[in-house]
Amino acid sequence: MNRPFRDLPVTRRQWMRMGALGAAAVSCSGWIEALAAGSASDPARRRSCILLWMNGGPSQMDTFDLKPGHKNGGPFGEVETTVPGIRISEHLPKLARKMDDLAIIRSMSTKEGDHGRASYHLRTGYMPTGPIAYPTLGSLVSKELADPTLELPGFVSIAPFRGLNPAAYAPGFLGHRFAPLIVGESDFGRVVPGGDGAEALKVKDLSPPAGVDLRRADARLGLLADVRDPFLDLRPGDAAYSHRTAYEDAVTMMRSDAVKAFELEDEPDLLRDSYGRNTFGQGCLLARRLVERGVPFVEVTLNGVDGNNILGWDTHQDNFEAVRRLSEVLDPAWATLMEDLKARGLLESTLVVWMGEFGRTPMINGSNGRDHYPNAWSAVVGGGGIAGGQVIGSTTADGTEVEDRPVAVPDLLATACLAMGLDPMAQNMSNLGRPIRFVDPEAKPIREVLA
Amino acid sequence: MSRFRIPILILGMIPCGAFAASAPAAGDPARGPGEPPTSGAAAAPTPDPYALAEVIDRRIGERLGQVSVEPAPVADDAEFLRRAWLDVAGSIPPASEARAFLLDDDPGKRRKVVDRLLDSPGYVSNMSTQWRKLMIPEAEGDQQVGLVSIGFEPWLRKQFAEGAGHDDMVRDLLTVPLGDDQQTNRIFGGEEPEPSPFGFVAAKAGDPGALAAGTSRLFLGIRLECAQCHDHPFATWSRDEFWGLAAFFSGLDRRSPDMALFQGREIPGRTEIAIPEADRVVQATFLDGDRPRWRYADEPRAVLADWVTSPDNPYFARAAANRFWAQFFGRGLVDPVDEMGPINPPSHPELLDELALRFAQSGFDPKFLIRAITASDAYQRTSAGYAPGQDVPELFARMPVRGLSPEQLYESLIRATGLEREEPLPPFVFGGSSPRKDLLERFAEDGSSPTERRSTILQALTLMNGQLVETAVNPQGNGTLAAVADSYFLSTREKVEALYLAAFGRPPRDEELDRLARFVDRGGPTLDPKRALADVFWALLNSPEFSFNH
Repeated sequence: MNRPFRDLPVTRRQWMRMGALGAAAVSCSGWIEALAAGSASDPARRRSCILLWMNGGPSQMDTFDLKPGHKNGGPFGEVETTVPGIRISEHLPKLARKMDDLAIIRSMSTKEGDHGRASYHLRTGYMPTGPIAYPTLGSLVSKELADPTLELPGFVSIAPFRGLNPAAYAPGFLGHRFAPLIVGESDFGRVVPGGDGAEALKVKDLSPPAGVDLRRADARLGLLADVRDPFLDLRPGDAAYSHRTAYEDAVTMMRSDAVKAFELEDEPDLLRDSYGRNTFGQGCLLARRLVERGVPFVEVTLNGVDGNNILGWDTHQDNFEAVRRLSEVLDPAWATLMEDLKARGLLESTLVVWMGEFGRTPMINGSNGRDHYPNAWSAVVGGGGIAGGQVIGSTTADGTEVEDRPVAVPDLLATACLAMGLDPMAQNMSNLGRPIRFVDPEAKPIREVLA
Repeated sequence: MSRFRIPILILGMIPCGAFAASAPAAGDPARGPGEPPTSGAAAAPTPDPYALAEVIDRRIGERLGQVSVEPAPVADDAEFLRRAWLDVAGSIPPASEARAFLLDDDPGKRRKVVDRLLDSPGYVSNMSTQWRKLMIPEAEGDQQVGLVSIGFEPWLRKQFAEGAGHDDMVRDLLTVPLGDDQQTNRIFGGEEPEPSPFGFVAAKAGDPGALAAGTSRLFLGIRLECAQCHDHPFATWSRDEFWGLAAFFSGLDRRSPDMALFQGREIPGRTEIAIPEADRVVQATFLDGDRPRWRYADEPRAVLADWVTSPDNPYFARAAANRFWAQFFGRGLVDPVDEMGPINPPSHPELLDELALRFAQSGFDPKFLIRAITASDAYQRTSAGYAPGQDVPELFARMPVRGLSPEQLYESLIRATGLEREEPLPPFVFGGSSPRKDLLERFAEDGSSPTERRSTILQALTLMNGQLVETAVNPQGNGTLAAVADSYFLSTREKVEALYLAAFGRPPRDEELDRLARFVDRGGPTLDPKRALADVFWALLNSPEFSFNH
């Protein structure tokens, strides 16, 4: 807590309160609003989306659709939420207090149980077939919603693990312009730097290398212009000109104030503590800072509880211990994100989606784990465009089947589009010269969940 | 429920060094030793590629005359050499080659350098990479497909190294035997992947519809996908025709539809298929409407392959010639290349017919076609200039500026900078970042045509600030820059010239040389001539003249 007062409209009295509350580790209500007092809600603000991606397939039975008492239920108990009648895992207590702004979909029913293909399906809305390279949701949304004057990329992916299917994270036929800016990528064999998780979240190659100060960087750019311009003058055409534009935009970003979004150390320690001092927690904080600066799509991946885990939710063994520890990372980060967005007037315009590529078997296997289960699982939506405080659909008592209101992947993505004010039936031209709708035309949006 | 595949995880841990060596070129088991490649047109005398080059120029010239567009002049030697190296061998020329070529006064030197490049390892790897991406694009994004397709690029290398005819290559691919599930086990045991086109079937997950669509698009130049689900009101192809083609693959039997990867078997002799969600079964039928007359023990895929690759097939030779043309001009005579048909006629119909005919007569020899194309004035025109009408791409009046493939960019960077080349990792090695991997990822193709490719912010950041270029411009390093900077026998002007040759394959123009040499002598902002020279090299590597083919 070394720089608590810097640049913040917080009085000493408020600070004392914050300290007291932080130490008591109770709800952060109140003081986050005080911190956010400077940022106003802008009515003309464009919509944004934050996707919380649970890599590996999170267990619905131990998070949002518990079956206490049933033999499939496992040891976790339920906790009451702020919405009477809705109960979730006892290991998500902070989130339980945000239930008014969240809607649980307990009837996800999908068809793919392979990590790579299911990730592609959930993240693009289409199955990976043939030569059409479908764009991932973030690319689609950033193309539609990014303000042309934005000095940051319209799609930022925080701590993804793309190893099993890079195409599930790619802009596909929309092209490179809509590719995610990736920070803190996880990968096999790559250890994400430890500490509080923030170090991993810096943009790669954003600053000139050591030894190249501003004067030298300018000299280099001057030489580049000298070499480049006569070449371009003789070769008109978009491809070559895009080179100049890309370099100009890159330099703008390198030197813009907007890129300060990545300087998490500017945030008060108390707030950073509240999000959780780990990659996912700090990633959620970064997501808020990006959305605040107009980035329309940010995704934050929860890979595991330590920096070296890549499919943390893939709990074939010791499911309960793993999910408990994951919940301890998820709960404060997500709850603080909701609170922080709300306090800054950003929640009404920011859709928050929580999902993985599938759920997990209700049956507990011989290793005290749960296996892949696309048949009946849960996702959560909240924030902008969503009527929170409700549960959509249900599963049978043993959790194996969807009992009512089955929701397929296109249904979920069409709902997300509508919540962001996008028409899911609008089209983009594909790499095969065939127009492709944002979402499969079979989609039946979940109307009752839309605000 | 398919569980996460543990073997893949474990494979990821195997050190990649075990597979670094390239696959040995073994004899083709399908063909007896010493037997020449079979081709329907093999008996005809081998046509002369340079005569075909003249045909190209006559046809292109006729069209230009009709619309009164003056073509751009022929490129100078440096511009030609760089382009030919990139297109044929996948990289820019070494500075020494460029210098020697510029000094050579042999009038036949352009044809000779293409001949030499066609015999180089660069040709084999460049063509293999390009065709692998065309034939199994699925392997780019999906690591599991990449894994089961591990023998695919070695197989392509073998084809191009041995000078296989395009028809033989396609026939092998369409008739690849199944039961190749042992491939992964073999690699698992630390062995070389066996060259095999099995990846084509695997990437389509053994699905008859996907295989029909892929076959038609790649080898017949026809997009049939839309006809898979319905008769399109404006398209030529009906749903029955689509499924008639798919029926040739109907013997493929996906053992478990839940499996992401195809590990199938084949029911021999099956020649009909039920159209999904329709109450109809269709018989295997070629796209020209004919049905094969089945004989005992005919294998449907082999029968289809014979029809596809026959010199009499109206689609195959034209589709192939068009694709090779597009590789060298950035667009096809029919463009997009896989949308041939009455609604999208060729820009030069007679030329396409003649290319196809001679290509078939050559035994579908890619080198024949490449010799003809690169010897034409149309290919050798400069990319610089402004004359009216030259912008119309289908006139081929000027060489368009084209984006490099990520592999071409990497190979060119290595060549220009003199840094050590990093061997590609096999597709089953997950993880770890490396300068090569990062670069390929940032510059990955996005499905747009090379003439329409756009640069991105992240690409700019990578080249401006990234590790690869920074290492390359380190005067204390051991690459081109350090060698040039430390050469006491070179004047500043000669040093700048050496860097130009390394990066652009040409000497600097006088005004460039004057300005840059002055900058270096004054030491730039660091007041250090070595670092100023590094800044010049940085600017060259970051310029579009370096990162485009032009």
